[in-house]
Amino acid sequence: MGKGRIIFHVDMNSFYASVETAYRPELKGKPVAIAGDPEKRKGIIVTCNYEARAKGVKTTMPLWQAYDICPNLIALKPNFNRYREASQHMFAILSEVTPFVQPISIDEGYMDLTDYSGEYSPLQLAEWIQQRLVDELDLPSSIGIAPNKFLAKMASDMKKPLGITVLRKREIQEKLWPLPIGEMYGVGKKTEEKLTQINIETIGDLAKLNVLTLKNLLGVNGERLHLRANGIDNSEVDPEAINEFKSIGNSQTFPFDTTDSNEIQQMLSQLCQSVADRMKAKQVVSENIQIMIRYHDRKTITRSRQLRDFVEHKDQINQIVLDLFYSHWNEEPIRLLGVTAQHLSHKEEVSKQLDLFNYEQEAEKEPLYNAIEQIEGKYGKEVFVNLSGYEQPKVKTSFQKDFLSNNQRKK
Amino acid sequence: MKIVINRDQLMQSIQNVMRAISPKTTIPILSGMKLEANEEEVKLTGSDSDITIESIIPKEEDGIVHIHEVIPGKVVVQAKFLPDIIKKLPEDLVEIEADGELNITIRSGKAEFTLNGQDPEEYPQLPVLQTENSFQIQTDLLKTLIRQTNFAVSTSETRPILTGVHFKLENDQLELVATDSHRLASRKIAMNEETDSLSFKNIVIPGKSLGELNKILDDSQDSIQISVSDNQILFRTKHLFFLSRLLDGNYPETSRLIPEQSKTEVKVDSKELMQTIDRASLLAKDNRNNIVKLETKENNAIEISSNSPEIGTAEEVLNTNEISGEELKISFNAKYMIDALRAIDAEEIKIQFTGAMRPFIIEPLDEGEQILQLITPVRTY
Repeated sequence: MGKGRIIFHVDMNSFYASVETAYRPELKGKPVAIAGDPEKRKGIIVTCNYEARAKGVKTTMPLWQAYDICPNLIALKPNFNRYREASQHMFAILSEVTPFVQPISIDEGYMDLTDYSGEYSPLQLAEWIQQRLVDELDLPSSIGIAPNKFLAKMASDMKKPLGITVLRKREIQEKLWPLPIGEMYGVGKKTEEKLTQINIETIGDLAKLNVLTLKNLLGVNGERLHLRANGIDNSEVDPEAINEFKSIGNSQTFPFDTTDSNEIQQMLSQLCQSVADRMKAKQVVSENIQIMIRYHDRKTITRSRQLRDFVEHKDQINQIVLDLFYSHWNEEPIRLLGVTAQHLSHKEEVSKQLDLFNYEQEAEKEPLYNAIEQIEGKYGKEVFVNLSGYEQPKVKTSFQKDFLSNNQRKK
Repeated sequence: MKIVINRDQLMQSIQNVMRAISPKTTIPILSGMKLEANEEEVKLTGSDSDITIESIIPKEEDGIVHIHEVIPGKVVVQAKFLPDIIKKLPEDLVEIEADGELNITIRSGKAEFTLNGQDPEEYPQLPVLQTENSFQIQTDLLKTLIRQTNFAVSTSETRPILTGVHFKLENDQLELVATDSHRLASRKIAMNEETDSLSFKNIVIPGKSLGELNKILDDSQDSIQISVSDNQILFRTKHLFFLSRLLDGNYPETSRLIPEQSKTEVKVDSKELMQTIDRASLLAKDNRNNIVKLETKENNAIEISSNSPEIGTAEEVLNTNEISGEELKISFNAKYMIDALRAIDAEEIKIQFTGAMRPFIIEPLDEGEQILQLITPVRTY
């Protein structure tokens, strides 16, 4: 890493709300929020545009409270397919510039432009990207330009919406250090609490702190944060990083706390379906299933089971989940249930021991597999795309990253 | 009751009987061993209600005196400590005495143990096997049959019937079959005329029972008598009764699973193949199915390879004696293949494949022994 790198962090501004506004231009200039199911108590603000933010509406605020402070707020249900489509389009634009694009969520990603050899300067390039996102998608974005991922990320936060910020390493004392510690990327609520307890108020305070003190307080992460606060981050822009996921989970809150077995089983069945659908979309199988039970008093337990064989279908998962649930439920009222498939493997890396009594099912497809193999041998693995991976419309998710994986895996 | 008995003889019997006694039994008295003495013999009994083993020590055999003193009687003694006590006694002679209060005293030399006994009347009565269905085979042959099939029983309780070995006697032919649904082991032998009128099927003996039986039996040419009833099977030698419950349920019809035609046939030296597969699988052992790949090559060669994504690859070309039919690429569990080759124990074998997704047959080339091993391949995505 001899010469300085040029890293972009592209961050879409209030992405969901912007996508909605792009679809319905009459919403422009009005306060718009995306909220979960408005009728039920899980109706909280997922995101809102700058007009709504100006009125004091914030993410995670309950909808009723948002209406209180902003009576003309337009609350919309999320339309994930729309967001996914916009996201794919956005990353397609970024990928035109360089193959080194690392998506980190549905609406932001890093680009490594160190080896960019086009005619534009980095600043011009950022302007060009920003303009194309506006022209083609009608979506505002902020771009941070810096010698590493951390500084780029911090830079993109500095001017919103439609900002372009260059953050050089020599500028950190002036631009980065005065920022409150809570705004530092990588510092969550817990870490912030711990740091304020030892009187760390700004990023500068952190940068000047003794590494050992930090390490004792926060472990390895403390060391990393210290480096970052000093403008050092050697992590690479890794286009594959998004594919390295470890689990797929869904959870859902009941409208009312319940002990009703029917409701519970129905909810578990739905959750299993969602998890199985998402596993199918990603072409993965799991060998460890976990359930989460949150009781009326917010006490939460997770229980998991290690399996001898890989599972992928809803029925298989559901059976394990029911078994786990009834072995661990203390019969108290339940507020929320979750199902997670862990220890995932891509199907192509997994083999299946055929069964003497039903191998015919697989054997029937043998001529097809042979044909595929021959053609792949001739033209490469890319010629076949498993269509089952595209049956996505029903997939619901709690993790934004999911939306990208399809785009990424297609290559 | 009182006996004075040779320690070695007693020890041997205790070890055999212990195989039936489970420390985890739900019936407390079955954690004990029953001792019964009469003027002719001493009988030891142990049971876990699935398996019951009786071992008999005759007073005198081939001019050798095993039991020097007898006062007839019976008692149940805690089995847990018995083997260690007897093994560590100082002298070759052991005296065991039970008084009317069920106190058991074990003496040898100057060592003395006093154990609390249990009432023998509470020990369950052994079921008396009422059957005409009896036949005999040589003990060492029975052991071979068990060795060649029992390894293939299922260890999973998802289909309990597959945890046993299926015994079938028909037309003077005895057939043993075991399968865990991934591979199948079958062995047939011709019986002598004595079994003329006898035939049975759907006799399924728990794999565990056969495993224990195999350990107890000596490799002798003496014959062992096998008696079969609806729910139990009894193996009986001169000094041993081995009674096992049978598994409930219908054993699946396995003959239809065995392919009748083949598309590729390979004849190869068994030992060389086993060693090649063993080497190739070294890197594959950590992965779930222990997969190796077999690929036919030109000039009667096959290539055995394995690929473990994060570890590395292994590859070896093996010359066979003959390959006929279609080209083939197939993946399977190396352990299943090695198990099968060990069971067959022949110099040269032939493997008949019917395609990469279908089970294949391994048999000895020399058809003197009617043994067949069937393995289902692994489908790699």
